Amino acid sequence: MPSKSKLWLLLVGVTAVLAAVLASACGDGGETKSSSGQMAPVQELRLNLVAEPETIDPNLAFDSDSIGVVRQLYSGLLTFDQDLNLVPALASEVPSQSNGGISADGLTYTFKLREDAKWSDGQPITAADVEYSVKRLLDPEIGSAYAPVYFDIQGAAEYTMAMGDPEDPTPVDEATLSQLRDTVGVEAMDEHTLRMTLVQPRYTFVYLAAIWPIYPLRQDIVEAFGDTWTEPGNNVSSGPFVLSEWAHNDHMTLTPNPYWYGEQPKLQKLVLKMIGDPNAAYAAYLNDELDVVAVPPANIKSVEEDSNLSQQIVRSVDMGTNAYEFNVQVAPFDDPKVRQAFAMAIDRDSFVNKVDFGVGEVAYSLIPPGTVGYDPELGQELAYDPQRARELLAEAGYGEGNLPDVTIQFADVGGNQLSAEFAQGQFEENLGVSVKLEPLEPRAFAATVMQGEFMIIPIGWGADYPDADNWLPQNFGSEGGSNLAGYSNAEFDALVEQAIAEPDPGKRLALWSQAQQLLVNDAAAIFVSYRERVRLVKPYVKNLILTGMDAGLDGELFLTATYIAEH
Amino acid sequence: MTGYVIRRVLYLGPVLFAVALITFLLMHAVSGGPWDHDKPFDPVTVANLNHKYGLDQPLWQQFVTYIGNALHGDLGVSYVQQGRPVGDLLRSGFLTTATLGLLSFLVAMCLGLILGIVASLRRNSLLDRASSFMTAGAASMPTFVLGVLLVVLFSVRLHWLPTGGWGSPKQAIMPVIALAAFPLAYIARVTRASMLEVLSEEYILAARSKGLREGVVLLRHAMRNALIPILTVAGPIAVSLVTGSFIVETFFSIPGTGRLFVQGVFARDYGVIMGAVLFYAFLVAVANLIVDLLYAVVDPRIRYR
Repeated sequence: MPSKSKLWLLLVGVTAVLAAVLASACGDGGETKSSSGQMAPVQELRLNLVAEPETIDPNLAFDSDSIGVVRQLYSGLLTFDQDLNLVPALASEVPSQSNGGISADGLTYTFKLREDAKWSDGQPITAADVEYSVKRLLDPEIGSAYAPVYFDIQGAAEYTMAMGDPEDPTPVDEATLSQLRDTVGVEAMDEHTLRMTLVQPRYTFVYLAAIWPIYPLRQDIVEAFGDTWTEPGNNVSSGPFVLSEWAHNDHMTLTPNPYWYGEQPKLQKLVLKMIGDPNAAYAAYLNDELDVVAVPPANIKSVEEDSNLSQQIVRSVDMGTNAYEFNVQVAPFDDPKVRQAFAMAIDRDSFVNKVDFGVGEVAYSLIPPGTVGYDPELGQELAYDPQRARELLAEAGYGEGNLPDVTIQFADVGGNQLSAEFAQGQFEENLGVSVKLEPLEPRAFAATVMQGEFMIIPIGWGADYPDADNWLPQNFGSEGGSNLAGYSNAEFDALVEQAIAEPDPGKRLALWSQAQQLLVNDAAAIFVSYRERVRLVKPYVKNLILTGMDAGLDGELFLTATYIAEH
Repeated sequence: MTGYVIRRVLYLGPVLFAVALITFLLMHAVSGGPWDHDKPFDPVTVANLNHKYGLDQPLWQQFVTYIGNALHGDLGVSYVQQGRPVGDLLRSGFLTTATLGLLSFLVAMCLGLILGIVASLRRNSLLDRASSFMTAGAASMPTFVLGVLLVVLFSVRLHWLPTGGWGSPKQAIMPVIALAAFPLAYIARVTRASMLEVLSEEYILAARSKGLREGVVLLRHAMRNALIPILTVAGPIAVSLVTGSFIVETFFSIPGTGRLFVQGVFARDYGVIMGAVLFYAFLVAVANLIVDLLYAVVDPRIRYR
């Protein structure tokens, strides 16, 4: 049996070879026929889910594939419109202080549920289903990755952290857990009224009522079937589709939920395939086995030059940012001047062309377009300027070869190798430093980074919801769960705290902006590009509405609108 | 003979135990664990998950628990396909992998033998050279390169075959070719060499001079001895089909145990890694046992006691 590293190399090889061969082979992509726009008799859409979803349990879902499926099968209190504004879903309105949904002190949220909503077995969807879901999410025994996101709910942190200090946990008994569960600040006041109580005002909490972790769940189903409650036959839906078939590791088939309270899907069948290799998926699209596919970055140019395929390209905003992150706790990157110098040594235009193959746009600050808090003016002072970069390095006492060797660690998947090599070239050329590359197997890389044993890493961030609240505290707050750099700035923390508690959206935006400015001043990371998606969509697929929040499926928020035209 | 078989089967126990122990230790020694995602988990989540899956216990205790459960047929649950028992995952993938493996084995054996025999009988003919050229190509081309070429030719260009998946006979064609190519070439070469050697033996000359028909000489006399070296390579070939299945299943998106194992390794899905390694160790051990027993069938000089 081959060793892991050998196996890994082989798989990397598979991708490389297929990419190379397909780049030259894409000329035969099937012709682009114009469609009349009339609905075809067979309404079947085939999308690539990429991998077997880890789970389709909303409380446990954290990876994009799982989230994409969860959004088809379940629904939440609130959701998003096409411009990613919050709109009601199960709740009859978005709570605010003016409509009384949020109390004057900002601590109590009351949701009125619509009365016509039903599960796919015909039972009404009630406030008790939401209460059950919130409490189950926080249950330490299920170990949900998203539980900490909801720690602003009263009693939530205490319940999830029942075992005490995570570094030295002490198991607790059922009675204690049950007691803690009862103190969680979520309560079904009656069948259609839900109240949630927070420990501190957080006006971005409404976004958390719109995302998947607290979609309502059926206690009777979960308890009757245990771990297999999500399997077809056991599972009941609150979303537009029901799960008809799950051939594990191969495909899933979803069909319309007759009890769905929203607009009925036009699709009769949604087939989700699980093709892991991006180039294999691309080949499947060319062979008419998929209706939508992500174009592998290396193939973008040849697709654009192909007379047929180029007409099937759909580009859309992806709420994500690519960057290089420093370990700011270790010399030389504990010095903001050194970080600024490195930031100014990266030519962003060249990055977008060479590493992203012309996809996306240059970035100088964290928050991407399409997100509340995005500011195109921000960060220009750290634009490409090798001259100034060398001066800064000298000012920091690292002039003329004084800088120790720098290592860039990266997870050896996707475009990371290219990204790391690009940075190596830029730093060596513009700063005269010697840069080593250290590719690591993905999990080993994640462990290395978590232990803080790195200097510079290429990194990318995506969003769960379109607000700065999802970006700043988590990634750069001193206590932020995803703060890999170890960045800590008391002023930044104070601004973020102030923003979260600020009821006025305009004032909040100003505070986010100030906080982002601090990240730029400190060159907390080198923000290099905002992501963009490049998809191929068969011409007969109509009304596929892509948003920056699509996680595992293209157009996943609005697949009820999508249909297949006569072709 | 029976005693020999019983002894060999009894050896399986210690072999599997050793495999389990080594795999367990390596798996935990490797950098990165099941909760090390690129999107970092909160320490609270990690602590809760460790407790949920018993990973908060000392390693030796985890191992003892695992072996105890495994002896009762419980191989634990997957962390990645959350909550699904490893036993179910292996069972559902096994049929697929076994079908793929057996088809490939049959294709490799039949075509390899035919090619090898024909080449040995028409030595240095155009046919022999063509066969040598093809087998050299198949033996030196990595499975994934062949897979890619097949997909580009038969799916992207000709639109004859689906690019991947499993279920219809059409979906099996390319994976079987990709998986069978190397063993086929190997068998053809070994068969040719072995046949050439046997055909020059004196007893063949004797058989021919007795006036036996050429077909009888070949089948009854030459083939029987020529088969022994082929049986010797059958063991390694079974292993190459197993390792080849990791690549082929991953590349063609086939829901078998090979892909499951690869995914398990990358995800540090401990239960799946242990289950799959034990399963493969068992398969290889049994395949070797069968080969050893077949020796006795083919060669009467070999006796097991």
